[in-house]
Amino acid sequence: MKNRQRPLLALAVLAAFLCAAAAAGAASGAASPSPSPAPPSRPGQKTIVIDPGRGGLDVGAKGKFGNLEKTVDLAVSLKLKALIEQNMAYRVLLTRDKDIDVSLENRSALANNNDAIVFISIHANGSFRTATGAETFYMSLTDVDEETRKLAYLENNSSQLDTRIADESKDDVKMILWDMAQAAYIKQSARLAEAIQRELPALLAMEGRPSRSLAVENRGIKQARFKVLTGVACPAVLVEVAFMSNPEEEQKLINGEFQTSVAQAIYRGLASYLKSS
Amino acid sequence: MKSPKTALIVALAVLLAALVFIFFRSGAREVILKPTDAGPAAATAPAKDTPPPTDARHTKKVTLFFVRASDGLLAPEERDIAVSDSLIREAEEFVTELIKGSAGDLAPALPAETKLGRIFITQDGTAYVDFSRELADKHPSGTTAELSTIYAVVDGLAYNFKSIKKVFLLIDGEERETLAGHVGLDRAFLPDYSQIAKN
Repeated sequence: MKNRQRPLLALAVLAAFLCAAAAAGAASGAASPSPSPAPPSRPGQKTIVIDPGRGGLDVGAKGKFGNLEKTVDLAVSLKLKALIEQNMAYRVLLTRDKDIDVSLENRSALANNNDAIVFISIHANGSFRTATGAETFYMSLTDVDEETRKLAYLENNSSQLDTRIADESKDDVKMILWDMAQAAYIKQSARLAEAIQRELPALLAMEGRPSRSLAVENRGIKQARFKVLTGVACPAVLVEVAFMSNPEEEQKLINGEFQTSVAQAIYRGLASYLKSS
Repeated sequence: MKSPKTALIVALAVLLAALVFIFFRSGAREVILKPTDAGPAAATAPAKDTPPPTDARHTKKVTLFFVRASDGLLAPEERDIAVSDSLIREAEEFVTELIKGSAGDLAPALPAETKLGRIFITQDGTAYVDFSRELADKHPSGTTAELSTIYAVVDGLAYNFKSIKKVFLLIDGEERETLAGHVGLDRAFLPDYSQIAKN
């Protein structure tokens, strides 16, 4: 009798193990530790999350002279963080502060777990040829299904939200939007993108700068379906500073003065957005 | 002979088997059209295995989109492809031409090393286009380049084949999180003609 049970017992153990493994697999995406330990915020202090693109094995766009996007993304992000901390009372968190891989999911999670009020992702662009210029992106809802778009409309016109959605269904709204949390902040994200893009080329092209050659072209604000922005539950943008794939812009991107100018421009855009919101 | 414990274990095993079954069966709901019965049958279509005829009656003009060097936007270029009674065959030829690149001075929108796998088109007009891993691995990366690649395929297919409404990009037969770190590939794309240069 004992012998006959043994295979069954083994099967049961296997079943339990598989279930546990599946559960662990499902949980690992959501529950893995946030990339940089968040310093505690002072009571009432709000959080801004800056996301230097790429990192680790993910080098991003590569320049003709061998420069890597990940390095520039981090350099500009660190400068922006310093500027905000010097001039504003916000707590600033970086999704990475060194050269490490961070999943796109964890980047959004850092913002959501810390109730961030703004999420800014910083990247250097690449193209198949020699395109130039700076542009600021926010999330596109073009490919999202009808239901999410309807909810997004309601969320973006939130004065109507309370009257149009009954209390018990509000949880459903949150559930559906978790996957597409950014849909609820499209309007604000668009305003943030506009504010930053207004400053970006303006500051860089300013007359009388020591090196006028640092100017970059204005490619405007655009929308695209960014994985890193999809789940962010606050106004969020992705700034493409300049093109790493363009040899001239590659030289600018690695220039410390250019990086500082970019950080200042983004800072000014952010400040004007926060003032008006 | 059978203790309650044994019964419980059997029940667990059955449950596991059921879960495994559900796991592998889910996602099989999509109806896939077979290459031969897709699309309106053209009366004059050539036999399947004959090489594409060069006769003007058996080719049709399509508009391919490649990258304009100056601003990274998409620009059109016309080309002839063989007419077929199969929508999938025509779509495959279209994408193959897209990978070959521009005959003029436009930049390619896809890495030249990319190979096209299969194309499936569901009854609701969603085309699943499967590319080899080079599409991602040899990609120059950067938002602009990713958008060029995606919309050269999506806009191209939707613009030239009216029954294709949406396009889902697969890499090595699988869904990818993003193409090269930015744009999510986790749902089908509707055409977005704002990616095409206005002038």
